[in-house]
Amino acid sequence: MTASLRPLSRLFIAGLALLAFTLAGCSKKTAEATRDVTPEVEAYYKAHPDFFTFAKLADLPANLSWQDGHDVPEFASPEAKRGGTLHGAIDDFPRTLRFIGPDANGSFRSYILDDNALTLIQRQPNTGQYYPALAKSWALSADGRTMYFRLNPEARYSDGVPVTANDYLFAFFFFRATYINEPWYNNYYTTNFTNITHYDDYTIGVTWKEAKPDIYDRLGQLYPVPQHFYKELGPDFAQRYQWRLEPTTGPYTVLPEDIHKGSSIDLTHVKNWWAADKPFFRHRYNFDRISLQVIRDPDKAFEAFKRGDLDVFGLTLPRFWYDKLPDTDPLVRDGYVHKAVFYNEVPRPTYGLYINAARPLLDNRDIRAGINYATNWQLVIDQYFRGDYARMQTTADGYALVPFPGIKARPFSVDEALASFAKAGFTKRGPDGILVDDKGHRLSFTVTSGYAALKDVLSILKQEALKAGLEFNIEQLDNTTAWKKVQEKQHDIAFSAFGVSVEMYPRYWETFDSANANKPQTNNITNLADPEIDALIKRYDRATTMDEIRDLATQLEIKIREQAVFVPGFEIPFYRAGFWRWIKWPKDFNVRLSQTAGEQGLEWIDEDAKKETLDARAAGKTFPPSVEVYDQWKRKD
Amino acid sequence: MPLIRFQLNPQTKRRLARFRAIRRGYVSFLILAALVILSVVGECLVNSRALLVKYHGHYYFPTYGAIHPGTDFGEDYSYETNYRHLKTRFAAEARGDWVLLPPVPYNAFENDFRPGVYPPTAPSTSERHFLGTDTTGRDILARLFYGFRIALIFSAFYIGFVYLIGIAVGCAMGWFGGSVDLLGQRLVEIWSNIPFLFVVMIVASLVRPDLFLLVAITGLFSWTGMTYYMRTATYKQKARDYVAAAEALGASTPRIIFRHILPNTLSTLVTFIPFTLAGAITSLTALDFLGFGLPPPTPSWGELLQQGTANLNAPWIVLSVFIAMVFVLTLVTFVGEAIREAFDPKKFTTYQ
Repeated sequence: MTASLRPLSRLFIAGLALLAFTLAGCSKKTAEATRDVTPEVEAYYKAHPDFFTFAKLADLPANLSWQDGHDVPEFASPEAKRGGTLHGAIDDFPRTLRFIGPDANGSFRSYILDDNALTLIQRQPNTGQYYPALAKSWALSADGRTMYFRLNPEARYSDGVPVTANDYLFAFFFFRATYINEPWYNNYYTTNFTNITHYDDYTIGVTWKEAKPDIYDRLGQLYPVPQHFYKELGPDFAQRYQWRLEPTTGPYTVLPEDIHKGSSIDLTHVKNWWAADKPFFRHRYNFDRISLQVIRDPDKAFEAFKRGDLDVFGLTLPRFWYDKLPDTDPLVRDGYVHKAVFYNEVPRPTYGLYINAARPLLDNRDIRAGINYATNWQLVIDQYFRGDYARMQTTADGYALVPFPGIKARPFSVDEALASFAKAGFTKRGPDGILVDDKGHRLSFTVTSGYAALKDVLSILKQEALKAGLEFNIEQLDNTTAWKKVQEKQHDIAFSAFGVSVEMYPRYWETFDSANANKPQTNNITNLADPEIDALIKRYDRATTMDEIRDLATQLEIKIREQAVFVPGFEIPFYRAGFWRWIKWPKDFNVRLSQTAGEQGLEWIDEDAKKETLDARAAGKTFPPSVEVYDQWKRKD
Repeated sequence: MPLIRFQLNPQTKRRLARFRAIRRGYVSFLILAALVILSVVGECLVNSRALLVKYHGHYYFPTYGAIHPGTDFGEDYSYETNYRHLKTRFAAEARGDWVLLPPVPYNAFENDFRPGVYPPTAPSTSERHFLGTDTTGRDILARLFYGFRIALIFSAFYIGFVYLIGIAVGCAMGWFGGSVDLLGQRLVEIWSNIPFLFVVMIVASLVRPDLFLLVAITGLFSWTGMTYYMRTATYKQKARDYVAAAEALGASTPRIIFRHILPNTLSTLVTFIPFTLAGAITSLTALDFLGFGLPPPTPSWGELLQQGTANLNAPWIVLSVFIAMVFVLTLVTFVGEAIREAFDPKKFTTYQ
């Protein structure tokens, strides 16, 4: 679920892999070259008849209302031109080309899976409606738990094999198999889904355990898994498929000759890609090739960009946007390189201080509230982040459908903090200015952080907190170690964040339910255990309408704010990019739900402009500069 | 008989005279000593607290001791007084109150943010940021200065620790010889092959290191070099007649080691100290540079160096720390060379 979880699960997976490796070593190699998993798959289907149902088309419920997204607006630019090569950089060479299993959860996966492969239906990233991808049309059952999909018979994998209903049934076998060394997947695909029905080769029905407002995401975003490719699936899956790329339904694939281990990897547009001219996919994924070279140091990558070796470079960090590529830089001033700021609207990673309410002193709500008032995030944002970032206000900012307009984080206030600490008995300052109570306790807490790049943030907070008589001791650890410590609930205060994917509404059970408090290895890192909040979460998780969800989420946010266990930090409401003049974007630049500029494949390369720019540069000719701000999705407040 | 006699033996006197005669080394030593003394009274030179405040006819000396809340001087806050603001306020009020600030009126931790100006800011004498500020608006001179002091404290403990183990183990191997020597040597070889940096990285990523933990970790992996010299020196002395004489007179082993052998190997040890000091400063800087050193926001040269290299567009950061490092390490090396020359036995004996 979260970015922060990744290092830990990777560690766990590495452990499993090691175990698997040892076991494999013990059992010695039996001749498995001609392994065929098909009989095992069929036996599995037979053994789970309630889950895998084989029915006839006639069994499909009548009076379903089928949707096909014909009224959903397209969002790519018709002006886009196909062709050309995009030059990009990655900070490390992928450790595997598998989508799943040890080391597969790296950043490269987005190039070959998350931003590439098609799901059944996909969300229009501006309006939030759904458009057809691998499914041609879809319908929701009357009880809101089952969705039916008619697959597009034209859909093909990159190796030419058609995508059929079988691949969705196989997906469940695959994701539940122990061979893949992925306990999270095993669990997710076992506990949440209750049935998949095969009506014919191009019609399926999938059932979730309960009705949910975001059932379209939960069921519609399933990936097919090509059974023909995983015929040799077995205990040696991790090694056997290490460098074999699964055939994709998406626009780009990696050809074996383009893998240069350690130095570069190229993506090639699938020849005669089946969806190339389909609505919602036309004018997107315009490059013939995406050439990615490994540049491990971001500053070095930036120099490569300035030299013209890379076409696009992310400038979100103030250091790059203001200092390394200011608007006065000759490249920008002369119009060769354009800059753009795009305000997106996605759930924000929850950067802030998580207070462990199970610790002595911190179990006092007044002290926690005081800590909230004594934490000067606004100064960090104004001075360190140059006023670019925004204050996070709740535990779940950025959900377009679940806004909390009335709820604000506590502002920095020495007086409020002192008043709050005084309620807890901390009224006197010691000789060093730190508050003490009658029993001789000092108001001093350790802040654990795994973010080496953000250590300056904590040192600013520390200085400011001193004014309110509060001492933060900064404990800067390695990322994995810090997260482990926090997961073991051994921290006083953790500076952390949960990465959140684009979902319709926030989750609370994982982070604030007492079921996860005072237990190691859960995400309730504040150890908040409040019966009222539990009751609300229970109702929230069973809510079936958006109105109900909004209402309960608001109540939850108010309660959580009251408990003061989370000091909301900052959020980055935009992303910024620099790009050479020949890279063109749609006139709105990008889409609301985008987290990076390239993820929807909307940009293209204008070869004429490239030639013109290079010639002009050689001749000393300049162009008008372009530094654009796209704030159509900016939060208004 | 007192254990330490403040009467130097003639040989040591000659060595000191010779050291003083080596101008470069001697001057370096004086500068270094001055720097050490300055850093001891650092709070009077580089500090956000005032040296002297006159308020309503009373005199205050806030430099050392407990904080003075702002309310002591008629400010409206209970946290530590901002003496720079106080100075401007007193000047504006012109009631005969005044504040005497140290030459550098900043400490190594405070973030000097100014509206509309984003750190790092360039050196400025009007703001008294003589070397500019770092990426969070902290005074670089203050951080350099206190970073130096911490490096010195670190080095002092480090040298003590390393020499204690190194001398003990080296002496033992040299004195007892035989299987102790053979076994000891092998253990030392194995121990010295443990990659020290990795161990430090692992430990530093697991716990929040403090000064003594860092001394202990770095020291534990650095004493091996010393044992070789001590072992040979002990062997050499052990074979001398005066040791046999002491033994014949019935002196105990500890007495022979501590009263006879150790003082005679001292010249070997002394020549190593400046180079160990340079080594200690560089390894602390290297660890801080890599982020495995003292926890933030401890002022340190390594952290400044790391900031400087990441922000080459603010050259004053990297230049300040680079020049400071080169300067101090050069001084130490000059001193070291001079000591080595002054203690060189070739000056006093002739080999045939």
